[in-house]
Amino acid sequence: MGQYFPGDTIIHRLDPRTKLLFVVFYIVSLFTAKSWISFGIIMAVLITAVLASKVSFKTIFKGLKPLVIIIIFTAVLNMFFTQGEPLVEFWVITITREGVTKAVLMVLRIIMLITGTLLLTYTTSPLALTDGLEALLRPLKKIRVPVHEISMMMSIALRFIPTLIEETDKIMSAQKARGADFDSGNLIEKAKALIPLLVPLFVSAFRRADELAIAMESRCYHGDKGRTRMKQLKMKGHDYVVLGLSVLLLAGVIVLGRFGF
Amino acid sequence: MTELTPIIKTEKLTHIYSAGTPFESVAIQDVDMEIQKGEFLAVIGHTGSGKSTFIQHLNGLLKPTSGRVLFDGEDIHSSKKLTRDVRFKVGLVFQYPEYQLFEETVYKDIAFGPKNMKLTEQEIRDRVLEAAEFVGLPKSVMDKSPFDLSGGQKRRVAIAGVIAMRPQVLILDEPTAGLDPGGCEGILRNIRDYHKATGSAVVLVTHNMSDAAKNVDRMLVFNKGAIAIRGTPREVFKRSEELQDMHLSVPNVTKVIMRLRAMGIDIDPSVYTVEQARDAIVAVKGGKRRA
Repeated sequence: MGQYFPGDTIIHRLDPRTKLLFVVFYIVSLFTAKSWISFGIIMAVLITAVLASKVSFKTIFKGLKPLVIIIIFTAVLNMFFTQGEPLVEFWVITITREGVTKAVLMVLRIIMLITGTLLLTYTTSPLALTDGLEALLRPLKKIRVPVHEISMMMSIALRFIPTLIEETDKIMSAQKARGADFDSGNLIEKAKALIPLLVPLFVSAFRRADELAIAMESRCYHGDKGRTRMKQLKMKGHDYVVLGLSVLLLAGVIVLGRFGF
Repeated sequence: MTELTPIIKTEKLTHIYSAGTPFESVAIQDVDMEIQKGEFLAVIGHTGSGKSTFIQHLNGLLKPTSGRVLFDGEDIHSSKKLTRDVRFKVGLVFQYPEYQLFEETVYKDIAFGPKNMKLTEQEIRDRVLEAAEFVGLPKSVMDKSPFDLSGGQKRRVAIAGVIAMRPQVLILDEPTAGLDPGGCEGILRNIRDYHKATGSAVVLVTHNMSDAAKNVDRMLVFNKGAIAIRGTPREVFKRSEELQDMHLSVPNVTKVIMRLRAMGIDIDPSVYTVEQARDAIVAVKGGKRRA
């Protein structure tokens, strides 16, 4: 989930700050929206963005798959526990017209929320994303939030996820070759079986951290102060257009809400 | 020393990673080979030639996409019990095995494999001490934490952990990678002694041609997921030009002989040690011809 697919579309080329801000406006609009009209407008924006990014709908469905259970759960909860005009009644279960409407809207909301954020991670490299986040959070430095350190930690963590997965596979194979059994036994036995996996994994993670720290220091990394960037973030014309449109989207949804739509 | 009864046999062994996705890649294709009881075999290949994927099939860690692996004539995936038994009968030492150590003491770590075999305490003890001796670990380190040892000693502990299962076939993937020349020679000597003493088959996976040539009876050269050359070291080195095309380094003395041949001197091309080179040169000087 959330893997980056390199590309050269307008969505890929947008400044990461623009994309982050757009997602924020988009999510707020999504939760402000109450009517079908508002949902329709937001959906149109989302579909336009997906089409422009050339990310296939198949890929997006794949990203949504792990959340199917949560989506179904929300739908069921909303459907059965909303008071209103009854549609179906049997035994203790009552399904109301309001319940069905609410369930459909809630499911739409969740799917659109996830699709929007998926689109962000699909079209933005992790590095650009943390850079953008760091730039946006910079004002928090005034109140002594270590913004640079946090974003550096994030990029390092993201960078090492595949490495750690690979390492886990390797150690698992090696212990299996010595007869370790990770699949059978009760819960306690299964937890115990993880020790031969976790100990080497932690040892190597710490070793890697040490080596990385030395490598960074020997290239004169000393935190945020006086640090320059090879790739400067720069807002271009299309960034301002997209920002303007996202403000317009939120404003439009709020106004529509005022008029009872 | 080598009886001609295969202990492991592969038939049309093929492995495709991520089959059916856009990331599909063929690691090995239609590999047919046999490992004889008690032989010392080298599997050689450049990085990415499929040799690591191949050896993980021999003890059932990877399941072939198509084809079969036979141990003592039986398909190792025919039953779950057999697959698990084969793990113990075919010992596999991975590359950089020292990163898999986890126990509090060296003794306990070596005992991990035998313990999984559900042996008695006494049997485990015998095997651990025997394995430690094979790899040249002194008794004094048995109660130390494996994390306090030097890199070379950690590697020995890890190898002992596999030897302690008394496998009928011992496979070592690049056992000397990252060690200094002294450490390399030491480990190879231990492996040779182990092979002589136990008579079990040993498979040495390496890209170092000289290491392989000096130790083994037979070689398999992997290239692009298939066995490109197989035979005794002499037969393999006869085809040195092909080896170089596969980005495998041939021993320096073989390179000298290749140059001599390029200069038009009719000398035996299957040379890979200085002694053989001397004999070959003497043969040419004496006017005798060698095929």
